[in-house]
Amino acid sequence: MWLPVMGLIIGIILGLLTEIRIPEEYSNYLSIAVLAALDTLFGGIRAYLQNIYDEKVFVSGFFFNIILAASLAFLGVHLGVDLYLAAVFAFGVRLFQNIAVIRRILLTKWSTKKEKLEKS
Amino acid sequence: MKIMKVKGNHLVLSLVCLVLGFIMAFSYHLTQLEHESERTSLSDNQYKTTLALRNQLISQEEANRKLQKELRQKQASVTENEKSLAKEAQVFTNLAEDAEKYRMFLGKVKVTGKGVKITLTDGAYNPKEQNINSYLVHEHHVFKVINELYISGAAAVAINGQRLTSHSYINCEGPVITVDGVQYPAPFVITAIGDPEVLASSINLVGGVKDQLVNDNIIFTLEKESEIVLNPILGG
Repeated sequence: MWLPVMGLIIGIILGLLTEIRIPEEYSNYLSIAVLAALDTLFGGIRAYLQNIYDEKVFVSGFFFNIILAASLAFLGVHLGVDLYLAAVFAFGVRLFQNIAVIRRILLTKWSTKKEKLEKS
Repeated sequence: MKIMKVKGNHLVLSLVCLVLGFIMAFSYHLTQLEHESERTSLSDNQYKTTLALRNQLISQEEANRKLQKELRQKQASVTENEKSLAKEAQVFTNLAEDAEKYRMFLGKVKVTGKGVKITLTDGAYNPKEQNINSYLVHEHHVFKVINELYISGAAAVAINGQRLTSHSYINCEGPVITVDGVQYPAPFVITAIGDPEVLASSINLVGGVKDQLVNDNIIFTLEKESEIVLNPILGG
């Protein structure tokens, strides 16, 4: 259980320590990538709680979504259409839905546990 | 087998977490840097200093422009002064040349040039003539020659080496002729600077000066000289 947490910490440290400067116009893509990653992460958590979690789907979705979002934003910038707004919208909506589902599942789990405890 | 699977599961999850953490931290870092740069570029103090510097620059440029205008004006005046100086210099040169020319005419300096040399000698003794005056050179003969020379454009004339001026006088005193108080006996050598051809032809005119003198029994010789030197007037 501590391995993913350590990975997260190492990732954060690496990200803070890197002195790579990327041009300002590419920072948009990065934020889209962050959004995609978060979305996939919460989707994965929801799937896990709903017992339909598939590792392959999760991992491929994680990386593919990041790349897709970034390339979509890139394409949008070069076409003169704010396509990254579409990504933000889609990922934002899904993020909220996923979090809502997670919250409900956790609530029902918590209430059933409580009932079980009361019964026993 | 199950342990391996769990371990692999965790490995993949940790990789995902690593990438997520990296991306998030990087993005955060970047945004922070952007904010910082924005803050520094738009900070009040810096804005004020920038404004002050800009104003200073503008005022400096204005001053520069003013000074440049002044410089241009000064340069124009300098050019004008130089032009007037050049003109003055030219005037002075002309004046100096004129003065030199006038000095030459007045006989204050030595002059050289092409010209003619005329010698008037008393005629040989003629027993038929009773009057000695009829074969002597008189001052009116000399006058005639000199006048003719002046009329035909002689620049300077001298008698026996003495320059004549505008206020020279020639007197006849028996056998000698006095030129400006200096007495000269015959023969009289009259040298004149001018165009030799013109002078000679005007003297040699038929019925002109030469013929008149020859009629008065005077021995008249005329030579064209390529260089005649006339000394300045003594005591002039």
